[in-house]
Amino acid sequence: MVNGFEVGIDELFVVNVARTIKDRSTVFHGVSSPIPMVATYFAKLTHAKDMVYFGGVSSAVDPNPPFLPYTTNDWVMIQGRTAMVTVDKIFDLAQRGELDRSFFSGAQIDKYGNQNVSLIGTPEKCKIKFPGGAGGCNLSADCVNYTIWTTRHRVQRKKDRAIYTLVEKCDFITNIGHVTPYGSRRDLDLVGNGPDWVVTELGVFDFDPETKVMRLRYLYPDTTVETILENTAFRPVIHPDVRIMDMPTKEEIELIRQIDPLKVRQLEFQPEELRRKFYI
Amino acid sequence: MGIFVERNKLTTLEEAAKIVKDGDIVAVGGGLCLREPIAMLHELIRQGRRNLHIVGTAHGFDVDLACGGGIVGTVEETHVSFEQDFGLAPNYRRACESGAVKIKESCCNTIINQLRAAEFGMPFVPMKSIKGSDEIRFHPEYKEFIDPFTGKRVILVPALEPDVAIIHVNKADVHGNVKIEPPYVADVLFMRASKKVIITTEEILPEEEMKRIGPTIPYYEITAVVHVPFGAHPTSCYPNYAYDRAHIAEYMRAASAGPEVFKNNYLDKYIFGVKSHADYIERIGGEAKMRLLASWKESREKWMELFTYG
Repeated sequence: MVNGFEVGIDELFVVNVARTIKDRSTVFHGVSSPIPMVATYFAKLTHAKDMVYFGGVSSAVDPNPPFLPYTTNDWVMIQGRTAMVTVDKIFDLAQRGELDRSFFSGAQIDKYGNQNVSLIGTPEKCKIKFPGGAGGCNLSADCVNYTIWTTRHRVQRKKDRAIYTLVEKCDFITNIGHVTPYGSRRDLDLVGNGPDWVVTELGVFDFDPETKVMRLRYLYPDTTVETILENTAFRPVIHPDVRIMDMPTKEEIELIRQIDPLKVRQLEFQPEELRRKFYI
Repeated sequence: MGIFVERNKLTTLEEAAKIVKDGDIVAVGGGLCLREPIAMLHELIRQGRRNLHIVGTAHGFDVDLACGGGIVGTVEETHVSFEQDFGLAPNYRRACESGAVKIKESCCNTIINQLRAAEFGMPFVPMKSIKGSDEIRFHPEYKEFIDPFTGKRVILVPALEPDVAIIHVNKADVHGNVKIEPPYVADVLFMRASKKVIITTEEILPEEEMKRIGPTIPYYEITAVVHVPFGAHPTSCYPNYAYDRAHIAEYMRAASAGPEVFKNNYLDKYIFGVKSHADYIERIGGEAKMRLLASWKESREKWMELFTYG
């Protein structure tokens, strides 16, 4: 059915990430995080007006940026702020157990929510270098909860092999999920409770309370449980009530377009994914 | 930190760069695309410094340039990229994957706490995070320890006292009083934790004027001051200029094409082949470019344009 108001995958994705943010919570997004950047500001303007909003590494409190930029460390992100703090104050908040949410991703994400943002190979002999986790190693341990996001869930099939982002086991763990080879969060005496939501371009997951394995909760209107299974290297738990996610309102989508005129929200998507449109 | 009381610390890029020795631990100021000490890195590359151990938090252009310029032996940063703007850092990746640099990747709060230990004059700091992460494999110097008060597991990380910090700032006087516009990123911590601090500055203020506006950092923490307008280019130094996206795009084209193209099309053109920083400014577009990058303040539309050109 091609009628009604058109919504892009990027816009629906932003709303999915924003929905993981609660009102009256303390929230920080890091570097190289265009979608969390849009989603956090969107949440602040909609359902989470009393969120304490730290706008990235520039570390302004409750900024009101005139638009969202391509880099997270720019004067754009300190405009209209209530106050400046230094970035160490945000990390202090986290290690005290008072940072409610942040957002992390990885080139590899395993079934327990561990993420690899560092490398393939070993520290001594690195085959592929990724950018590094920035604050992720510390904050994934310290934040009360965090949201994992990736726009690269879909498997890449090369001639003789398939490259998954959602893997059984990460080659290297930069950011900590629920269970690591070094033990569980409880064994490790960590401050925070780990990831509670995983938003991908194919679905939305939480974690099974018993096994701590990723559990499918919501699908997009154009994805199915089979799509998820085909593109995931491990077997996720399927929630008995898995269903299509609620669509945002026209007003919400218009607000996203207004706060993000440079379409920062699209930068992480493969061009073919951006062709996916939904109608409300 | 050291204590520096000389009345006049004003010097040249050439002389100040000599403070940095081969193999030094060097804290590089700013972060990502903001207020990085690029003119000083150019001079270190020209002087052929080697085997520097670069430390910092989330960086981009500076670390990639330093790797491409051959001055780096070890990288102890938390993240090196051009974010979603231009993506992965080509010279940095090549240097890591070829083994030309040793990877000592770290995490922001770890670096911050290590700098604070140095600032506080303490030998180490306990941390509740890091456990469970393979980041520990980059750092055999970290020690796991049982907190004697709570019985919980903590990781002890040693104080980090860089030999030299190189920081680009908005304003300074010749005595070394420094005014930085926020965000400071880790710059204030770097200045307090490092043995020596080299400042490059957009403006030199009379001392009376600095007293009136109040410095961010007092003179006794600063070793040397160099007057370098546009010294952070192509990263931003607000309010003077936004980042130069077209120049970074040109850089990325050269860096992505391999070390040889990078040397011929970038290093030779903008670093080895220039006589002075003023000459560099001419090559990147002179007055007209500086005016363009200052146009962010005219309107929202002008500011947005600076994120799309290039």
